[in-house]
Amino acid sequence: MAKIEIDGRSLEVAERTSILVAAGGAGIEIPHFCAHPGLVPEGTCRMCVVEVEGAAKLELACSTPVREGLKVTTESPRIREARRGVLEFLLADHPVDCPICDKAGECRLQDYYWDYGLFSGSFREGKERREKLLRIGERLLLDRERCVLCTRCVRFLRDVTRTRELGVFERGVRSEIGIYENTPIASGYAGNLVDLCPVGAITDTSFRFKTRTWFLEPRPSICPFCARGCRIEVDYHPGFARRSGSEGIFRVRPQIEATPRGPWICDAGRYGGLDLEPRRISEIVWNKGSGASTLTWEKAWSLVKAKIQALVDSSRTDRMTVLLHSGLTNEDLASAKNVFEAVRPRPRIRFADPPLGEDDGFLSTAEQTANLAGARVLGFDLRPIVPEEIGRETELLLMFAGPFADRILSGPFTAAIDPIRTKVLFTSVSENLSGSFDLVFPCALPFETAGSYTNIEGRRQPFAAVRFPRGEVKTEGAIIRAIADVFGLNGGQPEGGS
Amino acid sequence: MDVKILSRPLDQAGRRSLEDYRAAGGYAAARKALTELTPAEVLAEVKAANLRGRGGAGFPAGLKWSFIPAGGSSIKYLCVNADEGEPGTFKDHFLLSRQPHLVLEGALLAAYAVGIHTAYIYIRGEYEIVARRLETAIAEAVREGLLGIDILGRGFALNVYVHRGAGAYICGEETALLESLEGKRGLPRLKPPFPASVGLFGKPTVVNNVETLANLPGIILHGADWFLSLGCLKDGGTRLFSLSGAVARPGVYELPSGTRLRDIIFTHGGGLLPGRTLKAVIPGGMSAPILTPEEIDVPMDCDSLAAAGSMLGSGGIIVIDDSVPMIVVLDRIAKFYAHESCGQCPPCRVGTSWIRRIVRRMAAGGRRPGDVDEIARLAGAMMGRTLCPLGDAAALPLLGLVRKFKKELEE
Repeated sequence: MAKIEIDGRSLEVAERTSILVAAGGAGIEIPHFCAHPGLVPEGTCRMCVVEVEGAAKLELACSTPVREGLKVTTESPRIREARRGVLEFLLADHPVDCPICDKAGECRLQDYYWDYGLFSGSFREGKERREKLLRIGERLLLDRERCVLCTRCVRFLRDVTRTRELGVFERGVRSEIGIYENTPIASGYAGNLVDLCPVGAITDTSFRFKTRTWFLEPRPSICPFCARGCRIEVDYHPGFARRSGSEGIFRVRPQIEATPRGPWICDAGRYGGLDLEPRRISEIVWNKGSGASTLTWEKAWSLVKAKIQALVDSSRTDRMTVLLHSGLTNEDLASAKNVFEAVRPRPRIRFADPPLGEDDGFLSTAEQTANLAGARVLGFDLRPIVPEEIGRETELLLMFAGPFADRILSGPFTAAIDPIRTKVLFTSVSENLSGSFDLVFPCALPFETAGSYTNIEGRRQPFAAVRFPRGEVKTEGAIIRAIADVFGLNGGQPEGGS
Repeated sequence: MDVKILSRPLDQAGRRSLEDYRAAGGYAAARKALTELTPAEVLAEVKAANLRGRGGAGFPAGLKWSFIPAGGSSIKYLCVNADEGEPGTFKDHFLLSRQPHLVLEGALLAAYAVGIHTAYIYIRGEYEIVARRLETAIAEAVREGLLGIDILGRGFALNVYVHRGAGAYICGEETALLESLEGKRGLPRLKPPFPASVGLFGKPTVVNNVETLANLPGIILHGADWFLSLGCLKDGGTRLFSLSGAVARPGVYELPSGTRLRDIIFTHGGGLLPGRTLKAVIPGGMSAPILTPEEIDVPMDCDSLAAAGSMLGSGGIIVIDDSVPMIVVLDRIAKFYAHESCGQCPPCRVGTSWIRRIVRRMAAGGRRPGDVDEIARLAGAMMGRTLCPLGDAAALPLLGLVRKFKKELEE
């Protein structure tokens, strides 16, 4: 540890910490473009200059390590002048198109101009014209006129993913970020480039022109799309009072402490929730005979209740099968365990999970669900199911599929369970094969439920709901509690009720 | 005074073979060092000679070597900076093409002093013929046991490789040179760490200019005192001045450090062309701030030129006569740095380009009031605000020019 002083405040920080990080830890923000907590300092943007006692020149906060007795000043007329100079140079060729730029409101160039600039530029020459709409990835567009060449994007793909799809081409004022030979970025972590970009140069087609950043409320959550349990921010628009359709989740980003491997998330996690939204279902469907009709919750639930009650009355509850999935929270799983294990004769409780994917060696795990470790701790039988066996021995199937219905259900699976007299599916998304179920209930999407997941490292991480389900849509936890009521059991506290 | 150390056999063109070089006493210093001196003694002698780098910055070579961490067995590299890119400078070309063995012997002495066994000569791409001559010279030296393994039978090894650059001024900056040598874009690195601790391929590395190394055989043979006696107090030896522009006899001149600029131009260079008068002199390559005719009595050594507000730099003297409008000079300088800025730091990337755009407009007849002050302001905003010295190298000459010739530029 080293005792240092920043702006007159005494601090004790670990040796080799940069001045930038040390100051940030004490709540002193030093402006910067190219430095980033997940990347090695490059020292090129020249914005983070500070005065170090005893040094003649201004020093870079990003790359100057602290040492015992170091005294730093982060604001002075000389520092302001240097930062103002950098801004003036960066803005000379910049299009200043903030009114149509998605980054407006969270743009470093904009913020720092407010803090250090506020000059009426003296640039009177012709601006450099550059490519404004270059597709560099499936969802990524590059506007080279807005780019400040901090090279965070290039360094991320070079040092973190090591896929090296981006490079700097040309030199001097003609320097530009680009992909090689029209080969777009293939990395499954490309979405991080949008967060990394300190200005509006790299934008995301799934966010572009949809809303303004200042309407968004970042709400912390845990990524539900694999077992890593990355800590995320879900950017939620609470909606306008007199304009419908504006409410919703617009963006998912990593928290600074997202993972032990840096402030990154994979694209599957980033876009997973957003991509589910258009596929969600909101009505209860009754597939009866050749036709399908929609039911109210009361009517539909009375049908389920009657089926359960009939089994209870005839002491054939062991002819009931409950299929859970390991994307359920610890709390929902615990309720399910309490309820179904209390019933005699015991119903069959098994898990149907989406098939394993591939561990990419970085963040994405082979497990496609967030809480397999939690399910294991709770002592569930997690062996793979034999659908034919279930089909033979079941009269009532209650299947929880959450957002995974399309990955769990398959032709052979539905054929095997076809003999079951009554089949009920609780799913977040529409799925063609759901027609083989008698009743299909809409359930909440990820981010509409609260609870906790236990990740692959065994860390239990609680999270709150970002928003709440509406209309007939219920959380799977609420459905488990409704089932508990049928049995006259207590299914536990509703989520968010603690 | 007519001292010729570096250019002694240079007078006889075409005599650059190993045989010629040895006939003139070549490799005697290497033999002396490897047989009679320890590496520490070689280092001490060079330190005592206060040999200042001939590439531009003037940093003492011995001091630079002493930053290399001690420890015999670890891998270290010597990089010979032959990327002579400073406009108005052509002395390394001259040395390498006529005296390749003098440079190789210097490299051997440096490598011996620091304990290096691999040297790369990074030569600018345009010097293709010179690169081939160097290859020939290296092959000759290896054949005669003067390079390669077991040099002079003393068990010391040095392998020398020639690497051609691809034509970027920035690669003359030592860390950009290392990046380029590693096969990457030639971009200056963030310092620290300095090459002496983390250099080529992450190993401790010495980067020395061609002419710097060429001075070593003399120092080892005749001693530090002899070397210091040639020049001035803190800047010993002779220098190769590249004299170009509006002079009667342009060329490379070897003269003691501290020779007055006026003497170089008027005595050695034969003065200006008939009917012309002196208007300005750039004394140390294009990055050195321009001098007016009143300022040319300055002695040509590092400290005197620094005191005069300019720099000795690479010793490239560009003479400008009264037929040249200063806007043309300004245009050339602005164009060059805008073209050669690597583009990493905003002050240099945009500053050089912004200034160039103003100058281009001025040169095309579109002058506006305040243009000259604006150039000075922008150059000032680049000074000391970039990662590598190119920002200063561009800002200094532009500042000097617009200050000293403000009146003409505004006319």
